Amino acid sequence: MTALEFQGVRVRLGRRRHAADVVKGVDLTVPAGTVVGLVGESGCGKSTLARAAVGLVPLAAGRITPGSGVQLVFQDPYSSLDPRMTVGSAVAEAVPKGAGVDRAGEVARLLDLVGLEPGHAGRLPRHLSGGQRQRVAIARALAARPRVVIADEITSALDVSVQGMVLNLVRELQRELGLTMLFISHNLAVVRYVSDRVAVMNRGRIVESGPVDDVLSAPRDPYTRTLLESVPRLR
Amino acid sequence: MAVPTPHHPAPPGDPVEEQAPPEERSSRPARPGAYLARRFLRFLLSLLLLVTATFGMVHVVPGDPVRAALGITASPELVAARTHELGLDLPVWEQYARYAAGLFSGDLGTSMISGLPVSQTIADRLPYTVMLALVAFAVVMVTAIPAGMAAAAWTRGGRGRAAELLFTGASGLLAVVPEFLLAVAMIVLFAVTWELLPVANVSGSLTPSYYVLPTLALAVGPAAALARIVRVEALSVLSSDFMRTARAKRLPARLIYLRHALPNLLTGALTIGGLLISGLVAGSVLVENVFVWPGLGSALVEAIKAKDYPVVQGVVLVYGGAVLLVNLAVDVALGRLDPRSTIKED
Amino acid sequence: MRGLKTPLGAAAALSLAFLLFAVVLGPILWGDDAIKVDTMALAQGASAAHPMGTDGLGRDVLARTMVAARPSVGLALLATLITVAGGLLLGGLPAVLGRRAGRLLNGFIGLVVAFPGLLIALVLAVVLGSGGRPAAFAIGLAGVPAFARLTQTLAASVAGRDFVAAARVLGVGRTRMLVRHILPNIGEPLIVQATLGAGGALLAFAALSFLGLGVQAPDYDWGLLLNEGLNRVYVNPAAALAPGIAVVLAGLAFNVLGEYAAQVFGGRSPAARGAGGSARPVPGDALTVKDLRVSYGPAVPVKGVSFTVGAGERVGLVGESGSGKSLTALAASGLVEPPGVVAGSIEAGETAMVFQDPMTSLNPALRVGTQLAEVATAHERLARRAAGRRAVARLTDVHIAAAAKVARQYPHELSGGMRQRAMIAMGLMGTPRLIIADEPTTALDVTVQKQILDLLREVSDSTGAAILLISHDLAVVAQLCSRVLVMYAGVIVEDLTVERLVAGPAHPYTRALLASVPDMSADRSQPLATIPGRMPSPADPVAGCPFAPRCPRAGDRCLTAMPPFEDGVACWHPIKEVS
Repeated sequence: MTALEFQGVRVRLGRRRHAADVVKGVDLTVPAGTVVGLVGESGCGKSTLARAAVGLVPLAAGRITPGSGVQLVFQDPYSSLDPRMTVGSAVAEAVPKGAGVDRAGEVARLLDLVGLEPGHAGRLPRHLSGGQRQRVAIARALAARPRVVIADEITSALDVSVQGMVLNLVRELQRELGLTMLFISHNLAVVRYVSDRVAVMNRGRIVESGPVDDVLSAPRDPYTRTLLESVPRLR
Repeated sequence: MAVPTPHHPAPPGDPVEEQAPPEERSSRPARPGAYLARRFLRFLLSLLLLVTATFGMVHVVPGDPVRAALGITASPELVAARTHELGLDLPVWEQYARYAAGLFSGDLGTSMISGLPVSQTIADRLPYTVMLALVAFAVVMVTAIPAGMAAAAWTRGGRGRAAELLFTGASGLLAVVPEFLLAVAMIVLFAVTWELLPVANVSGSLTPSYYVLPTLALAVGPAAALARIVRVEALSVLSSDFMRTARAKRLPARLIYLRHALPNLLTGALTIGGLLISGLVAGSVLVENVFVWPGLGSALVEAIKAKDYPVVQGVVLVYGGAVLLVNLAVDVALGRLDPRSTIKED
Repeated sequence: MRGLKTPLGAAAALSLAFLLFAVVLGPILWGDDAIKVDTMALAQGASAAHPMGTDGLGRDVLARTMVAARPSVGLALLATLITVAGGLLLGGLPAVLGRRAGRLLNGFIGLVVAFPGLLIALVLAVVLGSGGRPAAFAIGLAGVPAFARLTQTLAASVAGRDFVAAARVLGVGRTRMLVRHILPNIGEPLIVQATLGAGGALLAFAALSFLGLGVQAPDYDWGLLLNEGLNRVYVNPAAALAPGIAVVLAGLAFNVLGEYAAQVFGGRSPAARGAGGSARPVPGDALTVKDLRVSYGPAVPVKGVSFTVGAGERVGLVGESGSGKSLTALAASGLVEPPGVVAGSIEAGETAMVFQDPMTSLNPALRVGTQLAEVATAHERLARRAAGRRAVARLTDVHIAAAAKVARQYPHELSGGMRQRAMIAMGLMGTPRLIIADEPTTALDVTVQKQILDLLREVSDSTGAAILLISHDLAVVAQLCSRVLVMYAGVIVEDLTVERLVAGPAHPYTRALLASVPDMSADRSQPLATIPGRMPSPADPVAGCPFAPRCPRAGDRCLTAMPPFEDGVACWHPIKEVS
C-alpha cells in the first residue's frame, strides 16, 4: 500500500466565464494503511477532489500521487453499476489483464470477500438490494488491486440499517487488507466511526485536519465548530 | 442541479454540482445578452452552412448542369454561352464569392429555363406559401393546446380509459397520415364526391374557400401530434412536486390548471411548435403540389424536374432561411418565458 | 409471448403480418394482373372485375398496389438502413473521438439537424438524380442528422452516469466503452426510433415518388401510383385512394411496431396521482388518523395506522424507505392520488405541507411571492396587494433577509435552504393547526438542516401549530419532536417519547435501528449492530408481526399472529429493561 498525497491541488470547473475554482489549493496526505475521513457540505469540493484523484477531472495546478492505481467507489450504487452487465463481468472487467490470471477464481474470491455468494456473479444489478450493489461496487474497486481506495459518500444513498452493514464491511476490509483509504462523507458520525484522521473541507479548502478524536473534541476552526454543533444528536 | 443528498442524489457525473457553496450559488445571473449573442452566432453559422450547401449542390451534380437544363438538342455554342453567362467557367472560389455577394444584393441569379430573375419568381410565389403556412400554424396552435390539456385532465391516474383510448388512437392515426395523403383523401371526399369545396384554381384570385382544404390538410397532422405531446407534458407537469404543493394549498381547479400548470407546459409546447413550423414548411411543398397552389413549393418541384438549378438554389435558400428564423424566434421566446432555458449549454 | 395479449401487441402482430404478406406474396399473387393490359377497360372506375378500377392502360389498380408493396417497403428499409448506419457512426464518433473533435462534430450535427428532413431529401434528390436507389439514398442521408443527434444525446446521458465514470477509472478504453457500456444501454430507444423512422422513410419515399422525384416509370411504387391516381381523381377516385390507403396502413404498421417495442423495452408505467379525500377542520386534536390503509392494487404499503397529534404537539414519524411513512403523511393531508386507494378516517385541522425536495416543490415558472400570495387570495379573497404584503411579511417571519426582493424572484434563483424557508412561509399564509413536514431537511446540508429545524420549532411555538415530522433519521426527529412514532412495513410498531427513545425503546426494531446508526458517541472499537434480512414488500402477505423474520426475540406466536398495539408498542416480547 502507498500513501495518497495531494499537493497544492487546484481544480477549475466550467467553461470560460462560468469557470470557477472548486478546489482552491488542497494539501492533504493519507498515510499508507490508514483511513482519512474528509467531511464537508455539498459544494465544498470534496467530490471534485475525489474525481481529480482518479483522473476524471483535470487539475489546474498541483500534484496528486500516486498518479495511477487509485480506485473510487461512488455514492449511488443504483447508477454506478452498468445495468446491462452481470455482477461477475462487472468485477471481472476490473481484474488486471495478464497471463495466468484465473478470472473466475478471482471474481469468486472478491465476492466472498465482500460477503456475497458465488451465485450472485450471474445476476444483474437490478436483482440486488442497495446494500448488495454497494458491496459489488467495493469488490469491483478492489479487483483492480488498487494502491489507494477513495470512498465517496458510499452510504448516503442507503437506508440506515444497511448503512451499518456497509460501514462494518469497510472497516473489516481496511484492517484485513491494510488499505489506504480516503473516506468522504457529509456525515460526521459516519466519518468518525471509520476514520483514523479527519480533514474538514469548506469552500474548496481544507480548514482543519488531525486525528479524529482531537479534531472532534477540540475543534480549532470556527467552521468545524459550526459543523459539529449542527449535527443532530440523540443523547 | 440539485444539491447532492442522501436520498436525492444529484445527477451523477455532473462536475458543475460543486461549483459554489449552496447559499452563494443561489442567484446565478441569467445574462440574457450573452445567451442571445450565442444563439445569434449559431444562427449565422447555420446560415453559412445553408448558403454553402446550396452553392455546393450545383457543383456536385454529375454531368454538365447547363447541358442538363438545356437538353441534348442545344448547340455547343449555346451551352458555352450560357455557361459563361452563369459564370460557371470561373474558378470555384470565385463563383462562391460571386454567389455570396449576389445574395447580399438580393440577386439570386436567373432561371436557366425562363431567363427571369429568380428573385422575381420568389417574390411572386412567396406570399401564397406564407399565407398557407401561417393559417395552418394558427389552426394547429388554437386547437392542439386546449385539446391536449383537456385530454390530460380527463385521463389522469388511469381515469377515463375509454376517452384515453379514443384520444390516443385518433390523434395517433391523424399524426401518422402524411399531409399529401390527407390532401388526396380530402379532395376525393369534399371536392369530388360531395362537391362542397373548390380544389385548384389556376386562374389566380384565391377566395377564402380555396384555403380550407389546403390548410386543413397541412394542419391536421401537426395538430394531432402537438395535442399528443401537450397531453404527455401536461400529465408529467400535473404529477410534479410543485403541483402537489399547489393542491396542498387547496387552490381552486382554475388556478391549479391555468396558473400553475399552463406556464410550465408552454415551454414544451413552444419548442415543439417551432419544430412543427419547420415541418409545415416542408409539408407545404407537397400540399401545394396536390392543390396546384401557386406557391414556392410548386415552383421548387417544377424547377427540380426541369433541372433549373438557380431556381432550386433560391427556393431552398428561402425555405432553409425561414426555418432558421423560426427556430431563432422560438429560442428567444423560450428564453423570455422560461429563464432557466438560457442557462443550458447547447 | 404474453405481450401479444395486449391490444397494442395484437395490433403490432397483425400489422406485421399484413406487411410481410404484401411484401412476400404480393408480386407472386398479383404480378400477372399488374402488367396485363386490358384495352377494353382503359381508365375505368371500380367494378366487380377491378375493385379499385384500372389505370390508363387498363391495368388493375388493386393488383398494382399490392405488387408495389415490395419496392415501397424495400426501398424504405434501405433508406432506414442508411439512416441507422450513418446516424450511429456520426452520433457515436464524438464518444470515441477526443473532447475537441467530438464537440466540433456535435456542433455540426446541431446545425444540420435544424433543417427539415424533407428539404434535405429534396436537395439530395437534385444531387443524386431521380430513381429508386438515388431517392433511397437521399431519404436515408436526410435522416442521418436526426438519428445521429439522438444517438449522441442518449450516449451523452449514459456517459454522464457513474458506471461509465467507474469504467473510466478502471481504465476501460474509449472503443470498448462505446461498445460494451454505452451502446447496450441506449440500444432500445434506438431500435424504437429506427422502427418509427422506417415508417417515416416509407412516407417520405411515397412523397418523393409522388412528386415525380423518386421511382421512375415503368417501375412503380405507391407514391407513383398515387400520382397517377390523382391525375384522374375525377374519373376514378379509387385509383388515388388505393395506394394512399396502402401507404397509411404500412406507415401505421411500422408505428405500431415501434410503439410496441417502446412498451416492451420501456415497461412504461405512468406514475399517476389524483386528488384524494379532503381534510376538514375539527376542534381539539390537530390530526386524528384511524385505521388508515393505503393500497395500490394488491400492494398495501400502509396497513391500518392509527394515531393522534394533539394541538401544538410535535410528533415524529420515523421509518426506513418502504415503511409507508411518506404515504401516511400524504394520506393525512388528502394528497394520495389514483390509483392509490385510501381507507379509514382522517380528521385534520387546517394543514400546511413542507416537502422533501425544495428544488421541485415550488413552481419554477411563477415568482415566489405569487405562489405565497395566492393562498390568501384564493382562500380569504384577500386583495392582491394585501396578499402580496402578507407574503413579504411571512417571508420575513422565516428569517429571509430582503424578503421583498425574494418575493419577486423565481425559485431557481434561490438556494435550497431559502426555498425550504419559502415553503414554510407558504404554509404560514393561512393559520395552520398542523404542519406536515415530509423529510424537510433530507435534501439540505447539515448546517442548513439545523436552521430549518430551529425555524420549524419557532413557528410551532409562536403560532401554536402542531408538527408531524416525517424522517428516516432518529436524531433529526429527536431535535424537534417530543413524541416519536416508529413505522415498519406499513404499521406503527411503537409510539414513544423522545426520552424513552434515548433511554431504551421497547420494540426490538426500534432498538436495532437505534444501534445500527453510528452517532457521535458510538464505540469505534465495536462493529455496528446490523439487522439481517429485508423488510417485507408491501405486496407480501404478512400473517404475524412483520418484523418477526428479522427479530432475535421472535417466537412461534410472532410468526402467526400480529401483536396488538398496547402501551405504545406492538410486540409480543417487548424489551422491558431500560439501558
